[in-house]
Amino acid sequence: METHCLKRPTRRQFLSSVAFTILAGSAAPVLARSISGALPWEARSADPPVQVKPGGWLFFTPEEARTMEAVADRLIPADDLSIGGKDAGCVVYLDRQLVGSYGNSSRLYTKGPFMPGLPTQGYQAPDTPAQRYRAGIAALNGFTAGAKGGKRFAELAAEDQDAVLKDLEAGKITLPDKVDARSFFNLMLTNVMEGFFADPVYGGNRDMASWKMLGFPGARYDYRDHVSKHNQPYPLPPVSIAGSMEWTTR
Amino acid sequence: MKTLGLSLTLAAGALSAGLAVAPSALAQAPDQADRIIRGRYQAILGDCEACHTAPGAKPLSGGLPLETPFGQLIPPNITPDKASGIGSWTEADFRNALKNGIGHDGKRLYPAMPYPAYTRMSDEDISNLWAYLRTVDPVFNPVEANQLPFPFNIRMSMLGWNMLNFTPGEFRPDPSKSEAWNRGAYIVQGPGHCGTCHSPKTSLGADETSQALEGASLQGWFAPNITGNPYIGIGSWSEEEIVQYLKTGANARTIASGPMAEAIEASTSQMTDEDVKAIATYLKSTTGGPAEKPKPIPADDRRMQMGAAIYHDTCSACHGADGKGARQLFPALAGSAIVQQPSSETLMRLVLQGSQAVHTDGARTTPAMPSLGWKLSDQQVADVLTYIRNSWGNAAPSVGPSDIGAHR
Repeated sequence: METHCLKRPTRRQFLSSVAFTILAGSAAPVLARSISGALPWEARSADPPVQVKPGGWLFFTPEEARTMEAVADRLIPADDLSIGGKDAGCVVYLDRQLVGSYGNSSRLYTKGPFMPGLPTQGYQAPDTPAQRYRAGIAALNGFTAGAKGGKRFAELAAEDQDAVLKDLEAGKITLPDKVDARSFFNLMLTNVMEGFFADPVYGGNRDMASWKMLGFPGARYDYRDHVSKHNQPYPLPPVSIAGSMEWTTR
Repeated sequence: MKTLGLSLTLAAGALSAGLAVAPSALAQAPDQADRIIRGRYQAILGDCEACHTAPGAKPLSGGLPLETPFGQLIPPNITPDKASGIGSWTEADFRNALKNGIGHDGKRLYPAMPYPAYTRMSDEDISNLWAYLRTVDPVFNPVEANQLPFPFNIRMSMLGWNMLNFTPGEFRPDPSKSEAWNRGAYIVQGPGHCGTCHSPKTSLGADETSQALEGASLQGWFAPNITGNPYIGIGSWSEEEIVQYLKTGANARTIASGPMAEAIEASTSQMTDEDVKAIATYLKSTTGGPAEKPKPIPADDRRMQMGAAIYHDTCSACHGADGKGARQLFPALAGSAIVQQPSSETLMRLVLQGSQAVHTDGARTTPAMPSLGWKLSDQQVADVLTYIRNSWGNAAPSVGPSDIGAHR
């Protein structure tokens, strides 16, 4: 067993390494600060999200927006459970995300090397989401123009739209300009779902439609009064980060 | 020998309590050191620094402007600097300022300097305070205290004001009351000058003596009723709860905010336990304010319904659906005195701007309330305050949206 033991440092080695560490440490810039007494705090301080309001497109062209609204309405069609993806504001949500840090990947590591990864490794190519939507929507409309008699995606009948989306998902379609069909479909699906289920403050999930559908209570954080009430529906309506209709009308 | 022994014990006690003494003080005769240490304690009782030290500035070198209903006054430099402080004053000048409101060169002081309270101080306490102030580092910082507009800037007008509003004279103990009660009354009425904030003011800005300690509005806060009134005063608090509040800034009922948080940090938390107990004994014996609660606004009132929805979505996670809060961490709103004051000024401010508990040796956690001004409209702030003021047994006048904007 002794052969597996690491060699213990001598006292001299230990002391000199400590001395070196202290020297190296003291030369480094001091980034931490010590706080004593009360924790730092300022009156009126808040970092709230800004309520996204529909109206105008900041990223999409009107044509792109029409295409995406058609996609959103097929991924989440209006039915007796809820309003559709378009009415819920999923594309408004997506539009505002694409002009922000999500759209330009400014908070991600985006340098090479770029190599095909496993599905579990996520997207591995250099293009930002903004670039992928610009190219992807053009490719989708280019495909339908060729395959569906000159029609753009939004102009197709609902069944035809569903068929195109299913083929995209299954990778059965080859989109022009080397756009990966399956990858682009998954991007749209993910973002439309985000828009539908995220807090309304970000532009989608209008009137908390998806939360009402699910019975999700929203941005609440105290359930002590309800923990022991088994098999009873939670009575309070959902609430957004920005508030609730219950606060102003009743 | 006995006196000397006692003074050394006191000095040691004060030192071990963390009171720093200027090195020059120790070099002087023992009885002088004793005077200085006692004088420093008077400065704590009187919380001189609250007004006379600006944030980050050298102690007592002059403070931030005080906004009074009559205009602005700047607390002057009271370090022993000869040119800009009180270095050229004599002890008699200082006593005259505290007892009669008349400064070194016969200048009338404005009663923002609470000489109507300090006049109750004993000559010995004033003398000790003077001894301490002589040991403070002199700082050259010229301050023009008088920033008032005409005609208030005429200091001689204070002569007339004093005739109408000012009764000079030392505190007279009431022999029928306990020693602790008399000590508490002395601190509250004299050096502690509690009424300067907590007593309603007349139209001339003097304390309304018939309503002493019944609560008053100042600097955008409402200093609440601190009489023994059972529901808007501290009548339902035990003496231990009052002591804990003054020593730590928090107790099972409430957490201090605003100017009181500052007063606790610099003054009451550093008072001796005996003195804080004496204050509690005295305050509990005082009376004032309405004896009976008004009728609460009914729960089916539209404002109450809105307020309930806002409360349960926004406030209840900390303050509880039952308004009971959590001991030492989240103030109880049910039965709270500050929640039921006639004025909701402090409450508006807390909701719009947030607040942080003061850091004291006895309460180091400093829990904070977030600012909710960004998410609640004026109407919503008004409704939620109306709700907490009239729920769980509370009863107080409703709050209107027009009052809110000034505190944003």
